[in-house]
Amino acid sequence: MSRLSPLEQREGETVVRVPLTRGLTLTIGQTVLALVGVLVLLGLPFLAGLVGLSWGRLFRGLLFGLAAVGLNLLLRHTELVSFGHAAFFGGGAYAVAVLAAHLEVSEGLLLLLAAVIVGTLLAAFIGYFVAGYVDIYFALLTLAFNAVIFATVFRSGFFNYNDGLAVRVGGDNPTLFGLGWTDLGYDLVLYYTTIVLMLVMLLLMWRLIHSPFGRALDAIGQDRTRARFIGIPVERYVWYSFTISGLYGAFAGGVYALQRLHVQPEPTLYVFVSGEILFMAILGGFTTLVGPLIGGVLLVYLLEATRFTFNYYHAPIGIILLAIVFFMPNGIMGSLPDILAGLRRRLSDPGRLGEDLRSIQSMVRRSLTRATTTVRILVFGVK
Amino acid sequence: MLEARNLRKEFGELRATDDVSLKFGTTSGEMVFIVGPNGAGKTTLINLLTGLLEPDQGSVVVHEETGDGTTVEREITDVDPERRVNEGLVRSFQIVHVFEEMTVRENVRVAVLSRYDKLLNVRSRDDQHDEVEATVDDLLAQFRLEDSQHEVAETLPHGDRKLLDVAMSFGLDPEYLLLDEPTSGVATREKEYVIETIVEASEARGVTTVTIEHDMDLVKSYADRLVVLVEGRVFREGDPTLLDTDDELRRVLLGVTE
Repeated sequence: MSRLSPLEQREGETVVRVPLTRGLTLTIGQTVLALVGVLVLLGLPFLAGLVGLSWGRLFRGLLFGLAAVGLNLLLRHTELVSFGHAAFFGGGAYAVAVLAAHLEVSEGLLLLLAAVIVGTLLAAFIGYFVAGYVDIYFALLTLAFNAVIFATVFRSGFFNYNDGLAVRVGGDNPTLFGLGWTDLGYDLVLYYTTIVLMLVMLLLMWRLIHSPFGRALDAIGQDRTRARFIGIPVERYVWYSFTISGLYGAFAGGVYALQRLHVQPEPTLYVFVSGEILFMAILGGFTTLVGPLIGGVLLVYLLEATRFTFNYYHAPIGIILLAIVFFMPNGIMGSLPDILAGLRRRLSDPGRLGEDLRSIQSMVRRSLTRATTTVRILVFGVK
Repeated sequence: MLEARNLRKEFGELRATDDVSLKFGTTSGEMVFIVGPNGAGKTTLINLLTGLLEPDQGSVVVHEETGDGTTVEREITDVDPERRVNEGLVRSFQIVHVFEEMTVRENVRVAVLSRYDKLLNVRSRDDQHDEVEATVDDLLAQFRLEDSQHEVAETLPHGDRKLLDVAMSFGLDPEYLLLDEPTSGVATREKEYVIETIVEASEARGVTTVTIEHDMDLVKSYADRLVVLVEGRVFREGDPTLLDTDDELRRVLLGVTE
């Protein structure tokens, strides 16, 4: 980071300009957070073990999170809710598996390239049909496409039904950069290659959403009619953004296949996975760029960690979703500024804690009164 | 010049636009006002001209002057609304349509980016085009929105929202500007201010405006030409003084019986 230019003053706020990424301006706080984020990502294979977390799970969480970053281009900017993004994640994953299992392609990067191409083409295809729709119709159409693809793969011998395909050629891991690796070496090389590409993709997404094109997508999301009448070809732009957002999912799915070395329909293509990707964006904060990534890590970790501990592992996840929607509609990253500001106020003025306590008390009292009234009406038929 | 030729539009039994033929911009920078009772087909006519609706019959034609003094005519009846903007055909709506979550400046900027054909640009930030920013500054000054330029559109007072809506339209560098009740919902004392601002901006740029307006005092003060629609047909067309002299028109329009 030696190329940081001198600090600039803008609108009373200290701003750092990073020439590497023209137009990217960050406050000092954001720069620090971004640096910490990158360092954590780079150190993850070693740090995870230290705090008792599974690195592989975190890695998969990042991949689903990246798919959610892609989905968020639609959700946040064109304000379209896609329930079918697993199609591109799974599409990418299956492109890798099919090429390895049926065509014996063994170079991981080649497989990854194929995943991106196949998944993106799939997104372009589906996007072409759904771009003219909004709201519930858009959601249902994406869901329907997803369901058709899942059913096809699930029932097809070519994709080996529910058992899926192994990403191995002759029993070996794929090569990476033309070289064979030990298991650990393979995981590390794959991880670091992915992290570098992921950071580039995040930067590109950042550039995209702050570009005139990103602004046009915002315009489409906020008022479609007006967008048309200022000359924005709405459907074409929605199609572009759908395709780009599918590309992110396809890349993530491709890496997922290389990491798991086995691709099954249910964890990659099922419509529930689409719902989970959507949930990741909301959980992490769809009003931010990296929120969905964090949402992805959290959700995948929660799902995988609770899967074997008890039967109804989806229930607590559902409760978390409810809590997020009710109490933190902007998700974790989106609510961070508010939470921090609230904490800071309480640190400087502890008297507020008393107020908090009182408001909680009155909330509980109100709900109890309501509950007793309801019971009274139900049981005795009178207030 | 923008021409409606025998336009007809039916909604079920209702003939909202019935064989309407009109020319706008016969003189450069002309201000045409469309008036008429509710349900006369004023908005439908604008919708047909701008492509929000397809006519059942008739056509929309633009006449362009070529370098040597002749004009060529081009039919745009089948052209998409977003492409008509490139033909210089810009409109506003009766209800304010702005991008509510963007600031005033961002709203105008999107329109200006569209005008300079920079919307597909992904290599630079949206606010780093000097030409665009200069145009945005001009527009904000002209519509007296500089002070609120960093405010979010949805928080503006209604009059300013109307002005922002029109400022965005001017950001597209229109040749023909079709305004559907630019003063609707604006307090009486501000109406004149809104119209005055629009007139100034149009005159400065030589824009032909076609405005639907209910306030006859405004029409009399500002119209170059008047078009009266009644039940989908052109009832009168001519000088705004008709509003004072034509008794039948006064009866239809104002319910005046003398």
